[in-house]
Amino acid sequence: AEPWPENAALYQQLKEEQILLSDNASSLAVQAFLQMCNLPIRVVCRANAEYMSPSGKVPFIHVGNQVVSELGPIVQFVKAKGHSLSDGLDEVQKAEMKAYMELVNNMLLTAELYLQWCDDVTVEEITHPRYGSPYPWPLNRILSYQKQWEVRRKMKAIGWAGKTLEQVLEDVDQCCQALSQRLGTQPYFFNKQPTELDALVFGHLFTILTTQLTTDELSEKVKNYSNLTAFCRRIEQQYFEGHDKD
Amino acid sequence: VISQPAKILNFLRKQKYNADYELSAKQGADTLAYIALLEEKLLPALLHTFWVEAENYCSVTKPWFASRIAFPLSLYLPGKMSREALNRILLTRGGPPLYSLTEVEAQIYRDAKECLNLLSKRLGTSQFFFGDTPTTLDAFVFGFLAPIYKVCFPRVQLQEHLKQLPNLCRFCDDILTCYFRLTVSGHSPGGQDMADANLQKLTQLVNKESNLIEKMDDNLRKSPQHPPRKLTTLKLAAGGEESPLNRLSP
Repeated sequence: AEPWPENAALYQQLKEEQILLSDNASSLAVQAFLQMCNLPIRVVCRANAEYMSPSGKVPFIHVGNQVVSELGPIVQFVKAKGHSLSDGLDEVQKAEMKAYMELVNNMLLTAELYLQWCDDVTVEEITHPRYGSPYPWPLNRILSYQKQWEVRRKMKAIGWAGKTLEQVLEDVDQCCQALSQRLGTQPYFFNKQPTELDALVFGHLFTILTTQLTTDELSEKVKNYSNLTAFCRRIEQQYFEGHDKD
Repeated sequence: VISQPAKILNFLRKQKYNADYELSAKQGADTLAYIALLEEKLLPALLHTFWVEAENYCSVTKPWFASRIAFPLSLYLPGKMSREALNRILLTRGGPPLYSLTEVEAQIYRDAKECLNLLSKRLGTSQFFFGDTPTTLDAFVFGFLAPIYKVCFPRVQLQEHLKQLPNLCRFCDDILTCYFRLTVSGHSPGGQDMADANLQKLTQLVNKESNLIEKMDDNLRKSPQHPPRKLTTLKLAAGGEESPLNRLSP
């Protein structure tokens, strides 16, 4: 396999003005994963990162002459290059890890998307201004509405459109409780060594804890579980100290 | 459908009796995670096999459902369910780089097969997912696997894959014989009609999960609170429209 090049880059939207909660979480998860594998990567912010991505989702990495997007395919890609965090796990543990990753995607990510695109207050005050901010009027409004329509269609198909915000927050609480119970008092989900599950959970929880939204309810749900906040702090100190906090 | 994991964990936490009496907190969390895995990876392929795959839909699913629904709803409802299933598959799994329906189909079947492999590894040689007594997770997995395993479709790639995983087949057969009074070959005392009615109920399980879990919840709340007996056999009334799992409580 080719060695990891020096100029590997991770693309996401503009950090200060444009990126949204869910994309930030996904991007942070990938960054954490690469840090855990000890693979250097620099973060490049582009307004049209979403359109550059081969799957339409951020983040994506540009390594050598290949472009790979989203955590799942990136984990596979990195494994093909000879780096893996989950080699030490047995078959049952690998099954468990995959199941928990689906839980996070199914509940946390969907809840984040719901909050940003289906909750009217958040949409008006945060999402619309941020999402289209690099573009002039009327393009910014058009792009926002288009994305909103797309996300709402998807929510309707999976049955989340009928949920109220309280129900969504309740779901987030259930998910955090499950994660907290699984983590217990261990440093990482599979005891001594971090895996892609740790990276994914860190990405989402850290973003929820540190993003300013219209209400604090979402981050309060996570703060209820002290082992999860300790987990985030631990990973932040170990893998992000001395780098820019992305 | 997505609200199921929440209802189930709620159910686990607040009740702490019945099927999940002996589960630890971690196992409760595992239940939630595996259910999410099933819904994300297995459900699209299941929906596809039943509702979207043209041969399957026309020769099995549509006549089956239409025969049990009153006219004129029977003309409209199966078609609507089929369209909704396709919609759901395309919206959740159909983005770039998969551009055509065949690519999406290939991907969802790959994911479903991987999911079945993972379940098989997790089950190993135990009788149920958390030891010797059945739990909510077993009910859920059974609800997904039994239709794949038992319904005779013309296009059966998922069933063939499942048959290569003997511990999952044994798991389904165990539950069928213990809780549904069917012999493994599928013939019951009531004859072929009863077998058809039972199989249809299993199919409805996939589509009406929320009703199912709510009924189970209510039923178990009303029942006396004590640990479950192991593998009691139950009678099934013929022709009833209620879900079979309703009868699990004493």
